[in-house]
Amino acid sequence: MLDFPHKQSAHCESGVAANLLTHRGINISEAMAFGIGVGLFFGYFPFVRINGMPLVTYRAAAGHILRQLIAIPGVQMYQKKFRNQDEAMAELDRALAASIPVGLQTGVFWLPYFPKALRFHFNAHNLVVYGKEGNEYLISDPVFPKPVRCQADDLARARFASGALAPKGKMYYLTQVPEKLERRPLIARGVRSVSKSMLASPFPLIGVRGIRFLAKRLAKWPQRLGRERADLHLGHVVRMQEEIGTGGGGFRFMYAAFLQESAEVMQERRLHDCAASLTGAGDTWREFAAMAARICKDRALPDDSYASMAACINRGAAMEEKVFTELQQWAKQHP
Amino acid sequence: MDHLQQELLKLICATCNLHDVDQGSIGPDDPLIGPDSPLGTDSLDALEIAVTVQKEYGVRMDSENTSRVVLQSLAHLANYIKKNR
Repeated sequence: MLDFPHKQSAHCESGVAANLLTHRGINISEAMAFGIGVGLFFGYFPFVRINGMPLVTYRAAAGHILRQLIAIPGVQMYQKKFRNQDEAMAELDRALAASIPVGLQTGVFWLPYFPKALRFHFNAHNLVVYGKEGNEYLISDPVFPKPVRCQADDLARARFASGALAPKGKMYYLTQVPEKLERRPLIARGVRSVSKSMLASPFPLIGVRGIRFLAKRLAKWPQRLGRERADLHLGHVVRMQEEIGTGGGGFRFMYAAFLQESAEVMQERRLHDCAASLTGAGDTWREFAAMAARICKDRALPDDSYASMAACINRGAAMEEKVFTELQQWAKQHP
Repeated sequence: MDHLQQELLKLICATCNLHDVDQGSIGPDDPLIGPDSPLGTDSLDALEIAVTVQKEYGVRMDSENTSRVVLQSLAHLANYIKKNR
């Protein structure tokens, strides 16, 4: 049986990336994988609709972290999508027989080891299959504290879930890693890239400008949409923040952990201070989300309102602007 | 149920306006969130609980997955607070 270093993580893609690299001897934390994989982002796209609601995302698109990691010199990854389910399962079995742990993209809803309350239609959930016993696959699913098992039929269904971000049987595994990962240039590159997307995007819907745009629109929702639909929009934004892939607050905390770890690697006090400030921004996102939850649940406190939420988001935007300006300046000094 | 678990149950009921819940019927291992929860709470309630716990006990649930694990039951939540306080 393959000895796979399962570690629970906050976000599936960065967790799988960290676990796969660790298995190949590159000991890396989830936060570091998230940071050098340029996982942090903000985008508010009111013209893109999901179930009739505007798209708001607090992290890079699914697959972005893995793409960034395989762009690291010396790292190579085999990736394949399939049309045929049997072929996809057979290739998975062949890789396992060769003692290769395999990353899979799956649909959460079809994975029976998820408690019913946690199943939802999200087709970009990553996990690692590291063995097979009889008709059961042994899985390192980063959401869970311990490895889990899944019947072959269920896993096949999850690999071929239909709908948005359909995984199409996608599997991937590392074929090459460098002897040693030189983290310093990767940290600088990751910080530079995230700072750029948060501060200097030409699109007003992305980064700090996008956060402010969301605040401006949100303040007007009750007048524009009516109270009932405004609350629906609000519930959706908060669910996207806190449920779909860890959430705004959660991602800010994870990036802060990356900065904290990077401060040690780079021996840089500034990164440590930025980590503390970003944790503050994460708390502000949570404060907004809690206020939104109270309003959606009809138990608003006297000071809760759409205007207060917009003010809260704008406070978060100002905090993030300050942090990423500082980080951008730091990155310029570390080409 | 130990003292902290009872205190947490009261806090959750107050936070989520659960006035008609019979607190004596809730066990330490009952699910806190989701359709199987005797409290009838959902993910939006979970969010408020996470924020309230941070305010009251100074313990932050850093991510969605952490809060999912921690908010499985009163026993899990109490243990998490004891460990991280």
